Amino acid sequence: MDGAGASSVWSTPEVQKHHEQQSVCHTRPTYREGRRPKAVKVYTINLESRYLMVQGVPAIGVMSELVQLFALYGVIEEYRVLDEYPAEQFTEVYLIRLQKIQSARAAKRNLDERSFFGGLLHVCYAPEYETVEDTREKLLDRRRYVAWSLHNKEATMGQTALETQKSIEACVEGDRSDFSSFRYPLLPPPPQERFPPYSEQTLVKFTAGEDNMGSKYHFMDSSEQPPPFTVQKPSYHENTLRRGALPAARFIPRTTHLENRKRKAEEASKTLFSGIGGKCETLIGPKLPEPPKLDMEDNSLNITAGLIRNTMKKISSVPEHKSTEKKSAEKPRRRI
Amino acid sequence: MSRRRRFSASDRSEYLQALVTEFQDTDSEEAREQVLANLANFSYDPRNVEDLKRLQVTELFLDMLTEESDNLVEFGIGGLCNLSADRDCCDQIVQSGGVELVTGCLSSRREETVLSAIGTLMNLAVTDTRPLASCDAVLQCMLRFSLSRSPRLRNLAIVFLMDCCTQEQVEQAKQQLQGHTQTALGIPLPEASDSGS
Repeated sequence: MDGAGASSVWSTPEVQKHHEQQSVCHTRPTYREGRRPKAVKVYTINLESRYLMVQGVPAIGVMSELVQLFALYGVIEEYRVLDEYPAEQFTEVYLIRLQKIQSARAAKRNLDERSFFGGLLHVCYAPEYETVEDTREKLLDRRRYVAWSLHNKEATMGQTALETQKSIEACVEGDRSDFSSFRYPLLPPPPQERFPPYSEQTLVKFTAGEDNMGSKYHFMDSSEQPPPFTVQKPSYHENTLRRGALPAARFIPRTTHLENRKRKAEEASKTLFSGIGGKCETLIGPKLPEPPKLDMEDNSLNITAGLIRNTMKKISSVPEHKSTEKKSAEKPRRRI
Repeated sequence: MSRRRRFSASDRSEYLQALVTEFQDTDSEEAREQVLANLANFSYDPRNVEDLKRLQVTELFLDMLTEESDNLVEFGIGGLCNLSADRDCCDQIVQSGGVELVTGCLSSRREETVLSAIGTLMNLAVTDTRPLASCDAVLQCMLRFSLSRSPRLRNLAIVFLMDCCTQEQVEQAKQQLQGHTQTALGIPLPEASDSGS
């Protein structure tokens, strides 16, 4: 039942109620006022998820920057643009699957309402993209964690990573129905067995320091060995190149943008800064896919298609040339 | 959440006490909702469970299930869903005759309420109270939910059928469902969650 769900859930975006940002409550007395303004809302494990939806990402080809930002909070297993999801003009909606729910929790808390390339991100959980197995694991982990923390109130946190790892293994093998017998210090055991080394290479290793989440299981989390398949840390450059190997369908909305960028780089290199222009090009994003060579199986149709394509190119290039001409006078900004 | 560590255990206990007191004393519906949401969210953290039990918050949540306000019901059952991960809380629910109240939430029009109710029933079912939480009516309900259009509801119902009852029970419920299709169809599905407006 769940096997079939995996592919289909990734293809049916719908606007859910919990995606909307609720209005902030301003009528709380001071003793109940938190540091950040919040809406009146109850979170349960049902609402949490390691799938995050990110709205309000400016549609200026900043996917790699966005992914890097989220990778600060944990290992990202997969991400993609939700092209079909209704977005505000000039923004994109992304779906990001993190390896652990704690990472998703930290990322959501720290990145929601964060300004990002001139846009304001809205990050929310997207549990509707979970498979049955995802949901099941999530609930089991929650129950185990509660059972563990209730039975180990005074447990110290000074356990070594090895002990942690051992106890995780013990719990994975243990009988799942009897939660009271668990004695181990970690919320979700890393779901390694379910994720064989990814051929897609979308994994980004947790590079920066951990967030200041302050929760107990996060502390445990940081003491844990990274799963073996994330050890090889792809550098940024490799990463961007690899991403080019992903199915081209994911990048279709950005092709025009990439074309423009390439053109800009060429313009710049023609005029003054040939060296910089060349460098810029290699730095940015996936390689431009080859223009599709469609054979309509009919000569006249092919000619028509060719005409239309040329016209489109002309139209889309006219305003772009103007802007680059203006810009070429000053030093083009270097992307870092 | 990030400021948790700044509070000692006694601060925490006092704060929760203050919340419960305000909830009981206030006449403002708005304040009641806010405090209830606070308490429900505090229930998520196992560190608060002892204090919340002492303050009989389980009873408080159960009381909310009979309120007219949809918000109060949603926050109340959300709190139960969070708190019932603790075994004592499950016992408390059963002793207070709360299983029917929770089961009643399955027919709510709000998806979030239904999901929380399923979550609570799951927590009840993995403790000793299995027969109560997975009675025929609940199972039939889950069978219906497992065909729902909403992925969250569908997934949760499938997990319930997988983990919280025996295969024979499911088969039996299926047969009953086929025998009396109309009774099961009487249970309304929660309203579609894709209200884009």
